[in-house]
Amino acid sequence: MEDIPVDVGLIYEGERIRKSSMYVDLAGPKSKGAELLLVVPPDEVEDGKVEVVGPDVDQMEEGGRYPFGILIKVAGEKLEEDLEGVFERKLHYFCNYIQGFMHLNSRDIIWCRISKDAAKKGLKLYHVGKVLVNLYKSEFDVIEKIQVTFYTDEKAVDEHIARAREVYEKRDARASAIKDEDVDVFYSCLLCQSFAPTHVCAITPSRSGGCGAVTWFEGRAAVKVDPSGPIGEIPKGEVIDPVKGEYSGINEYVREKSNGTIERVYLHSLFDYPHTSCGCFEAIAFYIPEVDGIGIVHRDFHGVTPFGIPFSTMAGQVGGGVQSQGFLGISIAYLRSPKFLQGDGGWRRIVWMPSQLKERVRSAIPQEMYDLIATENEAQDLDTLRKFLEEKQHPVLERLKAEEAKEKAEEAPEEEQPAATMPELTVPVQAGAGAPVEFTITFKNAKIYAEKIIIRRKE
Amino acid sequence: MIIAVSGKGGTGKTVVAALLVRCFTEMGREVLAIDADPDANLGEALGVQVERTLGDIREEMLKRMESMPPGVSWRTALEYETHRAIVEADEFDLLSMGRPEGQGCYCAVNHVLRQIIDTIAENYEVVVIDTEAGLEHLSRRTTQSVDVMLVVTDTSKRGITTALRIRELAESLSISFRKLGVVINRATPETEQRIEEYAREVGLEVAGVVPEDAEVRELDLMGEPLLKLSRDSPAKRAVCGIAEKLMELGA
Repeated sequence: MEDIPVDVGLIYEGERIRKSSMYVDLAGPKSKGAELLLVVPPDEVEDGKVEVVGPDVDQMEEGGRYPFGILIKVAGEKLEEDLEGVFERKLHYFCNYIQGFMHLNSRDIIWCRISKDAAKKGLKLYHVGKVLVNLYKSEFDVIEKIQVTFYTDEKAVDEHIARAREVYEKRDARASAIKDEDVDVFYSCLLCQSFAPTHVCAITPSRSGGCGAVTWFEGRAAVKVDPSGPIGEIPKGEVIDPVKGEYSGINEYVREKSNGTIERVYLHSLFDYPHTSCGCFEAIAFYIPEVDGIGIVHRDFHGVTPFGIPFSTMAGQVGGGVQSQGFLGISIAYLRSPKFLQGDGGWRRIVWMPSQLKERVRSAIPQEMYDLIATENEAQDLDTLRKFLEEKQHPVLERLKAEEAKEKAEEAPEEEQPAATMPELTVPVQAGAGAPVEFTITFKNAKIYAEKIIIRRKE
Repeated sequence: MIIAVSGKGGTGKTVVAALLVRCFTEMGREVLAIDADPDANLGEALGVQVERTLGDIREEMLKRMESMPPGVSWRTALEYETHRAIVEADEFDLLSMGRPEGQGCYCAVNHVLRQIIDTIAENYEVVVIDTEAGLEHLSRRTTQSVDVMLVVTDTSKRGITTALRIRELAESLSISFRKLGVVINRATPETEQRIEEYAREVGLEVAGVVPEDAEVRELDLMGEPLLKLSRDSPAKRAVCGIAEKLMELGA
């Protein structure tokens, strides 16, 4: 690149400038700074202009630390505000292409350094700006005009940070409102296949990965940085069931990546075709047939669920990349999803969760439901749970009562009718303290009448 | 060049690692020291204070992810935090891995963390990793390919057996290394030759022999950093000899 005193290229990515070879420290943990990219009308951009408000590198003291702000304004006929975030994240990469310039992180937690070598060669922020103008324009045809401003004067940096934070907030509010129906591409993560070979994690705006680490936005960022990595794109395809969350694109993708083991996936239901569970999920949603409700237990809760088993035991039975009827490994963030288990009735179906978790996601729980959900303080087993739910008149009881009334009315019918609304239920069973034998019993549309059932170990 | 220093506890492994760091810096090399043994304290031996370890950062990050705004990627934040955790001494940098993880999902974080550490490590001429005998950090988080694996042993037959076990372990964990050598530490004139011969007999290359050094023992006892060691300490001279040999090998 002409007139730039240092090299610019991909090979300088990942360059760490050590303290002993550093000329100046810009922003960073011991100072402050922010970067911001704005899409503005064309008449507000002077194309190619680079401005430095405050001292440039040649006026800085060697070994010094300065507050630092970057403002980029771009304009173009096809540009929308929604692209600001995408362009802004590119700053990190573009800055790092410059030899002797280190750039870390994003937004208002950036940290930059300029090396002694680069300073000696005459690198100034002015040049950094020129490089950015060039790289943005060559990478994005849609950017017709671009202008770069650096701030190193403390007061100017403070003002810049304040303005940037306002923009971030607005941007995040917009992004948080994105729903599955607003996008064409979902993401997948195959990281957990090392121990759960058939687990294909489908990540959509309304469902983050079970680990909580991979959201739809994180997926989008990861694919851009590491296109051949464990996170890939899933074309959404057709919507098969908008409530349970079934998409043809996800089904096809999962079928292929699970080697045909998993055929269909519902994103937002515990039944029929629930999403597989990896093993490192943050929480488990589990169906409690006795009250026809759903409980949730998270990893940090060390007590027992109303089933009498703790999280760890349940996790061992649910994980591994299989579809377990009535059980689903989820992230805590999923509890805040507007589509949270909507295929099963959402929050109106939730009957139990640890008090700590309930408090943590308080704002996500519909107000009228909050007091109706039992915690370990009110319900330690199925009896106390049922009593609590009856006392609180929890909506699951209406369903349950209707069902029981129907059963009574149908007593001794001429022809056995399969329970219409009883979903297929798989009960994971673990043997007692002895040998760790695990097996599952699956009932399909079953009706079982018995005075007493005795299960005994085969001698 | 990436050098991993392992060995069972009590063999003086951390002392050897710290002396290697000092020798390389005195040779004018840019060095990154990595403390990958939660039971040792390379920082202390080098006389620097470690405030945050990668273990701390990993836990923080898992907590922060939940409230991460949608427009911010935790991977760039993780990269930033990792750089921030590097202790910058005048002559070298130090990164501490900290405690191994607790329960929960670390797959995604560890995957990214490994890339970050690999990228950071490329900035240095020499990386010295003090790693525990189980090699857990090495296999799971830091780079999986080291150039030289040094196994520090005392002058016991059992020490040599441990060295053999570490070699097997490294192979089974598919940690690749170009060279594996034994460093016989705290050698005395009586034991030196016999243990060296024994090591060669079982097919281990001896990278160097570090003599018993009263000054090292004293500093170690008092928990004092080894930078107080006098220039002509026999132990340090021996380790610097190893460092020079390794540098020639790498060149």
